[in-house]
Amino acid sequence: MAGPPQKKQKREEKQKDGELPQKKYYRQRAHANPFSDHDLKYPESPAAMDWAQHYPAFAEPQSANSDAIATPRAMTKQVQVADIGCGFGGLLFALAPRMPETLILGLEIRTSVTEYVQEKAKALRVQHSVAGADESASKAVVAQHENATANPQHGLYQNVSCLRANTMKFLPNFFHKHQLSKIFLCFPDPHFKARKHKARIVSLTLASEYAYVLQPQGRVYTITDVEDLHHWMVGHFAAHPSFERVAKEEEEGEKEDECVSVMRTETEEGKKVERNKGKKFVAVFTRIEDPEWP
Amino acid sequence: MAHPFQCITSISSDNGSCLLAACGSKILSVKLDGTVASEWSAEAVLQSNSAENDDEEDKRPAKKQKTAPVQAIVAASPNVIKLVVSPNQEHVVAITDDKAVRVFSIDADFALNELSQRVMPKRPCAIEVLPDNATILCGDKFGDVYSLPLVASPINGGNEAVNSAPQPTAVQPSTFKPSATTLTVHSGRNRLALEQQMKQKNLTAKSKEPLKFEHKLLLGHVSMLTDHTFATREIDCKQRGYIITADRDEHIRISRGPPQAHVIEGYCLGHTEFISKICLIPGTDLLVSGGGDDWLGVWEWPSFKLRRKLDIRAAISGLGSEETRVAISGLWIAPAVNIDDGMPETVLVATSEQTPALFCMATKSLLEEDSTFTTVEIPKSPLDLTCIDDELLLSLDERTTDSPRLQAYRLTVDASDMQTTVLASRSQETETKLAEANKSPSSKVEEKPLNDLLYGIANLRKRGDASAPDEQTAE
Repeated sequence: MAGPPQKKQKREEKQKDGELPQKKYYRQRAHANPFSDHDLKYPESPAAMDWAQHYPAFAEPQSANSDAIATPRAMTKQVQVADIGCGFGGLLFALAPRMPETLILGLEIRTSVTEYVQEKAKALRVQHSVAGADESASKAVVAQHENATANPQHGLYQNVSCLRANTMKFLPNFFHKHQLSKIFLCFPDPHFKARKHKARIVSLTLASEYAYVLQPQGRVYTITDVEDLHHWMVGHFAAHPSFERVAKEEEEGEKEDECVSVMRTETEEGKKVERNKGKKFVAVFTRIEDPEWP
Repeated sequence: MAHPFQCITSISSDNGSCLLAACGSKILSVKLDGTVASEWSAEAVLQSNSAENDDEEDKRPAKKQKTAPVQAIVAASPNVIKLVVSPNQEHVVAITDDKAVRVFSIDADFALNELSQRVMPKRPCAIEVLPDNATILCGDKFGDVYSLPLVASPINGGNEAVNSAPQPTAVQPSTFKPSATTLTVHSGRNRLALEQQMKQKNLTAKSKEPLKFEHKLLLGHVSMLTDHTFATREIDCKQRGYIITADRDEHIRISRGPPQAHVIEGYCLGHTEFISKICLIPGTDLLVSGGGDDWLGVWEWPSFKLRRKLDIRAAISGLGSEETRVAISGLWIAPAVNIDDGMPETVLVATSEQTPALFCMATKSLLEEDSTFTTVEIPKSPLDLTCIDDELLLSLDERTTDSPRLQAYRLTVDASDMQTTVLASRSQETETKLAEANKSPSSKVEEKPLNDLLYGIANLRKRGDASAPDEQTAE
């Protein structure tokens, strides 16, 4: 079993600063048990989360007093878009330039895959920093860093990051109530066996948690190539009083939500399904305002 | 060797008070004049439908069989694991470790009469009867919280709408059809598996039988649920209900009460180890939580704010026992008397697993800056606690027959000093009345299964290194 360490070594050998990571060194088994403890790091509450390390360009300039070490640095913006189970991050990197002022976070439970996305984000930031992509990598890093604090005109991909998490358990540890405007659930593990259905990323009870972190009128986007799973997800969200499926025209056709088309074509799995000539099933749900107390 | 009483609770009605004590699979009701009013045993009830159970087990797929023998042993005499009384003191609800919720009525002479037994899909771990005296709130280890009517009514054939937990999977075709298609499966090995499935025609779908009684799924955690409690607040002259749930992954979730239990109001976050118990402080907006952390949290739950951390590790290590890691096994509110003016007070009592002490603090001093726990040392580890009038009855892990398994205490609060302290004294009078219950014969029991029954909290602690296969332990 010399597989993983060798892979890891290769990763470090091959990759230079500002160079895109190679997927083949980051492959990992496509399933994870969401009920297991793993060895996760998560903040005890959203307030304790240090977002500045993920989005340095959007952090408030460090204040002079050294008290700041105890509490995480304040941010100019909060994460608004979450891609749960982002995989190799195809959707993240497609969305990032389209909404450069919105913070986008990918959440992935597999360690190596998370590392890949983090490396890719780092490389893309260097390549697209304002200082110019042609300069030497080390210079670009410095320039980008200065840009980040001094100049709001930062380069692209500063708004995208990824972290390892089990969102089925720890979503409220990362996000405040009504913080997010969009949640993407793209090509989730279908868990075909009936006794594994509880491990699916969509359930009636989990929908309550998605509703908690979503702002009213926020949206959940789902896509899968497994028809059975599509019906499952539609069934559970439709049965939840906080969600309402959006009109067909927005899911496909003329009025299509831009995010839907990106999700169809830009996700890594989406491309794979395209190659296989498989079907893609899309559903979009709006989060309804909470009802008045009875 | 004697079997200690693993759960105790009490009933107070016009006819006086009565102690209910569960010993293995038996529930005794003991009147406070010292007589045992009734004795109920879970064994008898289960025999009648054990044949049915066997049938079911035969049909199980091969993979599940490894759990079957274990279940058979458990089914022989299901132990009582939780015991609660409805707010109007008319019904008792017990959970037995065969996953059954059993409801009893209590007659004027405190005899228990079993009304129903409902087997839940997963083993319940927390239960309570809502203030309407008609609804049971029942949470299971898998994180789901259900509401059941207190008095069971079977679902008739045409009345399926009652089962309002929407389960889109319930309607399954009678023949098995793989949900993967040649277009969805990518890897070579998966393709082979699919081919095999396609060849096997007309496999009957193995869907679980839906529950045969009225129930409603209110909310759920993916983490292991450990405790829940129902709170009410009055806002604009209207009562609002809240369900507060706690889990092994450090969350305290506050949801609205039924019928809006799908709305999560917020989370009380701050624990860094599992939470095993939560307890509301009556007359305040405070909630106390405890588990594996060195402290108990005092929360102002409507605003989700942690007001204070009460250091309990210090109190435990002050005992000089071997076990100094915290594993809160119980949080209770007990009555007490003020030593100066004789006015009634309330005291928070906390216990930690395998620790022979009660940790007490007057509820009015919970937020006082320098208040600390008063440690009341007791002969053996406490298992459960209940209050009758102004006395506190305690069940101890006493496994010899010559020492009492039940003890009674009176608490007094001394606020005359700078620091409010709690004093405890044994109540000999009540203890003599409990003599008969203490002497009541108990079933033979082995050390190991008894420890498993009584002490499960410390196991909730996560192992720092490897990922523990949670799923398996929960099943």
